[in-house]
Amino acid sequence: MAEYYLQIRLAHVILVCCSGALFAARGLLAIAGAAVANHAALRWLSYTIDTCLLTAALMLVTILQQYPFVQPWLTAKVLLLAVYIVLGVYALRRARTRQARIAAYVAALLVYLFIASVAWRHDPRGIFAAYGGRQPVPVARSA
Amino acid sequence: MDTTRRLWIGLGLLLAVAFAILLAMGRDLYLKAPPMPERVVSSSGQVLYTRADIELGRRVWQSIGGQQLGSVWGHGALVAPDWSADWLHREATALLDIRAQRDFATDYAHLSPAQQANLDSQLRTEMRRNQYRSDSGVIEVSADRAQAINAVAAHYQELFGTDPALQALRVTYAMREGTVDTAEHRHAMTGFFFWTAWAAVTERPGGKQSYTSNWPYDPLVGNTPTSSTFLWTVFSVLFMIAGIGLLAWHYAAYHRKELPVTPPPADPLLGLKLTPSMQATAKYFWIVLALFLTQILLGAVTAHYQVERDFYGFAISRFLPYSLTRTWHTELAVLWIATAWLGTGLYIAPAISGHEPRFQRLGVNVLFVCLLVIVVGAFAGQWAAVMQKLGLDYNFWFGHQGWEYTDLGRFWQWFLFVGLLLWLTLVGRALWPALRRKDDMASIVGLLFLSTVAIGLLYGAGLMWGENSHLSVVEYWRWWVVHLWVEGFFEVFAVAVISFIFVKLGLVRAASATANVLFATVVFMAGGVLGTFHHLYWAGTPTSVLALGASFSALEVVPLALIGLEAHETWTHSRATPWMERYRWPVMFFLAVSFWNLVGAGLFGFLINTPMALYYMQGLNLTPLHGHTALFGVYGMLGIGLMLFCLRGLKPALPWNQELLRGSFWALNIGLALMALLALLPMGVLQLQAALEHGYWYARSADFMGRDLMHLLVWMRVPGDTIFAVGALLLSWFVLRLWVRRAHG
Repeated sequence: MAEYYLQIRLAHVILVCCSGALFAARGLLAIAGAAVANHAALRWLSYTIDTCLLTAALMLVTILQQYPFVQPWLTAKVLLLAVYIVLGVYALRRARTRQARIAAYVAALLVYLFIASVAWRHDPRGIFAAYGGRQPVPVARSA
Repeated sequence: MDTTRRLWIGLGLLLAVAFAILLAMGRDLYLKAPPMPERVVSSSGQVLYTRADIELGRRVWQSIGGQQLGSVWGHGALVAPDWSADWLHREATALLDIRAQRDFATDYAHLSPAQQANLDSQLRTEMRRNQYRSDSGVIEVSADRAQAINAVAAHYQELFGTDPALQALRVTYAMREGTVDTAEHRHAMTGFFFWTAWAAVTERPGGKQSYTSNWPYDPLVGNTPTSSTFLWTVFSVLFMIAGIGLLAWHYAAYHRKELPVTPPPADPLLGLKLTPSMQATAKYFWIVLALFLTQILLGAVTAHYQVERDFYGFAISRFLPYSLTRTWHTELAVLWIATAWLGTGLYIAPAISGHEPRFQRLGVNVLFVCLLVIVVGAFAGQWAAVMQKLGLDYNFWFGHQGWEYTDLGRFWQWFLFVGLLLWLTLVGRALWPALRRKDDMASIVGLLFLSTVAIGLLYGAGLMWGENSHLSVVEYWRWWVVHLWVEGFFEVFAVAVISFIFVKLGLVRAASATANVLFATVVFMAGGVLGTFHHLYWAGTPTSVLALGASFSALEVVPLALIGLEAHETWTHSRATPWMERYRWPVMFFLAVSFWNLVGAGLFGFLINTPMALYYMQGLNLTPLHGHTALFGVYGMLGIGLMLFCLRGLKPALPWNQELLRGSFWALNIGLALMALLALLPMGVLQLQAALEHGYWYARSADFMGRDLMHLLVWMRVPGDTIFAVGALLLSWFVLRLWVRRAHG
C-alpha cells in the first residue's frame, strides 16, 4: 500500500478541502435562509465526499501505522471531528434562531481550521504549538 | 381436477423423484469418494502418515476454524490459501528441485527449457499415477516424492506454529501466532493437507481425471479441465435457455388472464387483534437488529484483517483472530435472518387462524431464551476451540466443527434442531384451525405450513455426518443444509409468506395466489433440489454429480430471469390503494428482494455456476460477490421486509419515520452495490486472470493477494461498507424509536 501513499494523501487533502468548502457554502446558504442548503443533491454530495474522505483517512493511518487513541494528534483530530460534526448539524439544520445558526457556523469553521492545523503540524496543539516552542512531531514513514 | 390439485400432485411427484435421485447419488458419492489410506509410505519403507494421523489432522484443522481459515477443495475462506492447491503446487515444485539437483546438480529454475520439460513430464506421470493399493490400503510414493512431502510438511509445521521467519506470511494469511498448539497436531494436520492434495491430482482407477475432476487448475501437474467439465457447461447453458423460453411461454399463455381485484376500502389488517404471543415476538426483532449490527462489525474486522493483523492500533487479533470473526460473521448472517423469519412465523400464525393456543406466549418466550443460549454457548465454544483451549476431545460436540455455515458444535446443532422443532410446533398449533378450515385460504396456508415443516426438519441434514465421516460425505450433507435449507425451502417460505400477506391485504385472490405460489415452488424445486450438486463438482465426487449439478442448477436461474414480472406485480399491489402507503417500506424491501434475486442470485450466481467457470473461480472473490449479494440481497432484504410488516402490525397506530426508513433502504442497497462493484468484482476478476495465466494456487497465494493493487481494492470496500452500516444503524434507530417513543408518550 505504501506505493500509493502520496496519491492517497493528496486525495485526502483534496477531499478535506472539498468537504470544508461545501460546508462553508451550505452554511452561508442556510444563514441566508435558502432552502437549497439542505437540498437532497447537496446532502448526497456531502455524504459522498465524506465517505471517500473517511476511506482515505483509514488507509493513511494503516499505511503510517499511526492510530487515533495511540498518537495524540490523531486522537485530537477524531475528537474534534465529532465536535465539528455536531456544530455542523446545528449550523445547517438544528439551530432554531439565526444567531444560533451563525454562532454554530463560525464555531464549526474555526474547529475545521484548527483540525487542519493539527493535521499540518502532527501536534494536538495545532496552530498553538507555535507558541509552545516545540517542533512538530515527524511522521514515521514506517510503511 | 382443478389447477391447484394438479399442481399439488406435480409438486409431490417432483419432490419424490428429485429427493430419490439426490439420495441415490449420495450413495454413489459415498462409494466413489477418494480412498482413505491406512498408511502412506515411501519406497524405502518410511511411514509418512497413517490413517490415524490424517483423521487426527482433519480434527485439528476443524478445531482452528477449518473452512474459516483458508479452504480445502475450494470450500472455505479466501485470505489464506486453498491448502489443497497450495500443498499440491509446493510438493510439485519441491519434487522438481530435488530431481534437478539429483540429475543436473542445480535448481530447477536454472535448467534449460528442454531439461525442464523432461522433468515436468516425469513429474506429471508420477504424481497422477494412482499408487493406492485397495487390498492393503497403502499409498506408496517414491523416495524423492517422500522427500518433497517432508519438505512441504516442514513448511506447514512452521507456518502453523510460531517460527519468526514465517511471521510475515502469517500476517498476510490472517493467521494468529501458534495457530495450532502442539507439534504433534501440526504434523497430523500436514497429513490431512497431503491427502486432500493427493486426491486432487491422483487419477481415479481406470480414468484420466483425478478424484476431484482435476481441480484445482495447475498445468504443472496436469490438472486441466476435463472434457466433461466443458461438455456439461455447454449443455447447462442450453438447458437454461430452453427453460427460460418455456417459462416465458407459460407466462404468456396462462398468467394475467384474470380480472383485477378491487382492493378493500380500508386496511383489513387494521382491526387485527394482537394476541399475547404475537406481542411477545417483538423481542425477536430487537435481537435481529442486534445480531445484524454485530455481524456488520465483525464483517468490517474480518475484511480489515486482509490488510493488517490488528484493527487500527487495537491488537484484537490476539483474542479475536480472523477465523473466529469470519465464523461469527457468516453464522450471524444465517442466524439473524432465520430469527427474523422465526419471529414472522410466530407472529403471523395466530393472525391467520385468529386462534391463540394455550401457553403459546410461554412457548414463544422459551424459544427466544433457547436461541440466546444457543448463540452465546456456541460462540463461546468456538472461541475456546480456535484459541486452542478446548482440546480435541470436546471440539466436535462443543467447539468448532470447521464447516462453513454449519460450524456449530454438534451439541449446539442438536439444540438448534430441537429449537426449530419447537418453532414448528408453535407455528403448527397456532395454524391448525386455519388448516382444518376448507375455505379458499386452506391451500396457501397449507403451503406456508409445509415450508415451515421443511425448514424445521431439513436442518436435521446437518446432523447426518460424524466426527470422522469422509470429507466428501460431510460436504454432501453440509450442502443439504446450506443449499436445500437456505436456498431452497427458505425461498418457498418467502414466496408463500409474501403472497399470503397480499391475500390478507385483499389485493390478490386466494385461489390465484395459491396457484402462483405452487407453480413458483414447482419451478424453484425443479432446479433447486438437484442443483445442490453444483456445490460438489470438485468435492471428490464422480462425473455424474457434475452433470446433474450443472444441468439442474442452470434451471435455478430460469425463474430469476423473469423475476421482473413478479417485481412489477408487487409494485402494482403497492399502488393499488392509498392505504397501502402504510406498507410502503415492507413492499420496497420486497422489491429489493426481486432486484437482488436477479443480480446477486441470477447474474453473479450464474457467473460462477457452470462447471467450466467454477473450475477457475471457486474460492476467488467472485464467490463472496455472489454470497453477499444473494444472501443479504435476497434473504436479508426479505428478513427486513417481513420484520417491518410485523412491526406495522405490532405498532399499528404509530406514524412511521419515513426519512429514517428511506435513508436505511437506499443506504443498504447502495452500500451493497458499492461493496460488490468497487471491491469484490474487480478483485475476483483480477484473481481469475491470475488463475488462468498461472494456475489456481497463484490466484490465492500471498504473492498475489499481498500486492498493493489488491490491498487498494480491499480498501475500496470501505465506502460501500460504511454506507451499508449507516443503513443498518438507521433501521435500528427507527425500530428503537417505535418503543422508546411509546415509553415516553
